[in-house]
Amino acid sequence: MIPYIRAREIGLTFRPKNREPVRAIKGLDVEVGRGEFVTLVGPSGCGKSTFLNIVLGLLRPDTGEVQIDGRRITGPGPERAMVFQEFGLLPWRTVLANVELGLELRAVPAAERHRRSLELIQMVGLTGFERHYPHELSGGMKQRVGLARALATDPEVLLMDEPFAALDAQTRDLMQTELLQIWEKSKKTVLFVTHSIEEAAYLSDRVVIISARPGRTKEIIKIDLPRPRDYEMRLTPQFNDLKLRIWETIKEELLVRAG
Amino acid sequence: MRGYREREPFILGAAVIVLLIALWEAVPSLVTLSRGMALFFTTPSKVAATFWRMLVNGELNRHLYVSGLEFVVGLGLAILVGLPLGLLMGRSKTLDALLDPYVNALNATPRLVFLPLLILWFGLGIWSKIMIVFAGAVFPLLINTYVGVRNVNRVLIDVVRSFCASERQIMRIVVVPNSVPYIVAGLRLAIGRAMLGVVVGEFFGAPEGLGHVIAEAASNYVVDKVFVGVLIFMGMSLVLTMSVKKIESNLTRWRPEETKTF
Amino acid sequence: MGLGAFYDQHPRLILGVASIAVLEGAWELLLTYVVAYNPFFLTKPSLIAAAFNQQIIQGKLWKDIAISSRAFALGLALAILVGIPIGAVMGWRRRVEYALDPLLTALYASPLVALAPVLIIAFGVGLTAKAALVFLLSVFPFVFNTFAGVRATDRVLINVVTSFGGKERDLYLKVILPSTLPYIVAGARLAIGRALVGILVGEFYAASEGIGFAISQFGDTYRLAEMFSGILVLCIAAVALTEALRKLERVVAPWSAEQTSR
Repeated sequence: MIPYIRAREIGLTFRPKNREPVRAIKGLDVEVGRGEFVTLVGPSGCGKSTFLNIVLGLLRPDTGEVQIDGRRITGPGPERAMVFQEFGLLPWRTVLANVELGLELRAVPAAERHRRSLELIQMVGLTGFERHYPHELSGGMKQRVGLARALATDPEVLLMDEPFAALDAQTRDLMQTELLQIWEKSKKTVLFVTHSIEEAAYLSDRVVIISARPGRTKEIIKIDLPRPRDYEMRLTPQFNDLKLRIWETIKEELLVRAG
Repeated sequence: MRGYREREPFILGAAVIVLLIALWEAVPSLVTLSRGMALFFTTPSKVAATFWRMLVNGELNRHLYVSGLEFVVGLGLAILVGLPLGLLMGRSKTLDALLDPYVNALNATPRLVFLPLLILWFGLGIWSKIMIVFAGAVFPLLINTYVGVRNVNRVLIDVVRSFCASERQIMRIVVVPNSVPYIVAGLRLAIGRAMLGVVVGEFFGAPEGLGHVIAEAASNYVVDKVFVGVLIFMGMSLVLTMSVKKIESNLTRWRPEETKTF
Repeated sequence: MGLGAFYDQHPRLILGVASIAVLEGAWELLLTYVVAYNPFFLTKPSLIAAAFNQQIIQGKLWKDIAISSRAFALGLALAILVGIPIGAVMGWRRRVEYALDPLLTALYASPLVALAPVLIIAFGVGLTAKAALVFLLSVFPFVFNTFAGVRATDRVLINVVTSFGGKERDLYLKVILPSTLPYIVAGARLAIGRALVGILVGEFYAASEGIGFAISQFGDTYRLAEMFSGILVLCIAAVALTEALRKLERVVAPWSAEQTSR
């Protein structure tokens, strides 16, 4: 199989002014097949969000390259869209105008982007809130807007940077289930970053474990649980075994850092 | 009918103001003023009568027009210069570093100190006043615009960049809307500074304008006329400041956090 | 360390110093070699430096500076003594807030410098009138910032102290005072600018001594270099006071370092 996204030997060092350079990632390899759901987990500060920004095209790696469908990426592109951790909604725009943002920047005609945005607002269950401003929404609703905005441009690849980290535990469970439903319908390729082992095991086809800083690929664990998955599946021994395997691998990294 | 508790803020606030005015009015009948003091003392009723007389006989019209013109042109120039410069300084680190010493030093110094120089350069006519109004009003506008641009959330810029936005689109979609509340707060400060410029500028050898009316009346010890001028300035400041505050509170439709003013 | 590396570490410092040096140099060279200028209308850095040396280093202006400083200090001290208690009481007692807020807000928004002639009629030319003007302009930032500081005190902290058996005295000393102090210092920074305006207006308008008088006198007699040296003194004093208070802000509230930038 030729992977759809292929990141090889990615390395990046930050050089802040007046401070020591920080080597964020070094020799990171990730491959994602078309339509696959891959999650990156690792100790905090291991550069997984940095890596996502490289794939998005906002950061340029010092070494290595990212290819999508065999083409090397050099900047942001229409086939990729990100769901941001802190939502990144424009506070002065309504829900509808926020969802329209990407289409507007692609110069899609007003009527068309309107129609498309309303469709996605319905898909994420926010019908009736089109005219609301972000500060009038709960955290979960805000991230639904973030998801709708990313999907509105119909990208091939959905990049998700700890999208549910700012939500409370129950909203989080709910959003995970809904994300799976949307993903199964749309069959997007998803690259997901989280520090929650449970979330990684529940959502993914494969989990890539990143080492402590400088981040590199430590291990890849295949999650061969049947789909569609539901909440009850999380209570099975099989699921818990997978969680344990991921945890033990990450624990080694945490101990490396602490020691 | 609503209860007293709900209206207490309004009632207490109004009561204090009414009480103060009444007390002022009553001073001459409560205490015997010395002959010198009695000559200069005025009461609210006398001030009101003088105000009415000046309004009716049209004595104020020309002065109001001149003061208003100085205020509007000076503030307009300050907006035309302050906003673009603030935007540029906010987006360009180099320009920021080059201009920062001047902006900082001039902002800390009361610009009124330049009044004698401006009178020397621009004469006693309206241009020296326009320039002092401009000098006072430009810094709050410039600095608040700058802060608004600087305080833009990095994530929002990343969001639009991820949709392949150009630098111009970033400005239009993120940076400018983000600085609007800061600019409006800056405008509120600028109005106060501009008013100060008009008042003080006209104190010194101006041939006309409301400040001139005050200064002339004071040099002839016509105290009620002085207060008429003062009250007009107060009234105009209040109306303008309230209007801008109204705009500010409308902006909270999309920005729930309080905007810091600088 | 090479110059390039030094620049990489302190780009703002280098650009700022370069910007000032280039401007002064260009100004000097332009007026020396290119433009034949009228000395009653323009001046150049070398002449200003000479005048500064004569007026300040050799002390001709010191008497005026001392006189202005006295009125400045007196008015500001009075503003602190009156403003902080009023603000604190407004913060503690809702009713006092309701009673005083409309009046004080209206006065704060007004250009109270317009009252300068009245003060001079009332107190005569001299220290008292100037100090009164300084007080009138600088008292409000103390009132409103103290008020805001007391109000912004975290309710949770009050509950914490009370739950550990703290008395009312503990609340004031351990919670309210520390959280209000940064607001008061920030208020002082605003007050200083307004106090300087008071000094300038008082001395421009009616005085026979003081730094403001000196500046306006130099202007009237077309001694531009001397006038600029006076402006420079005021500028240095204003920047020094502002920076000192910014330092103080960091000392009294190290936990909220960049709470208010600029």
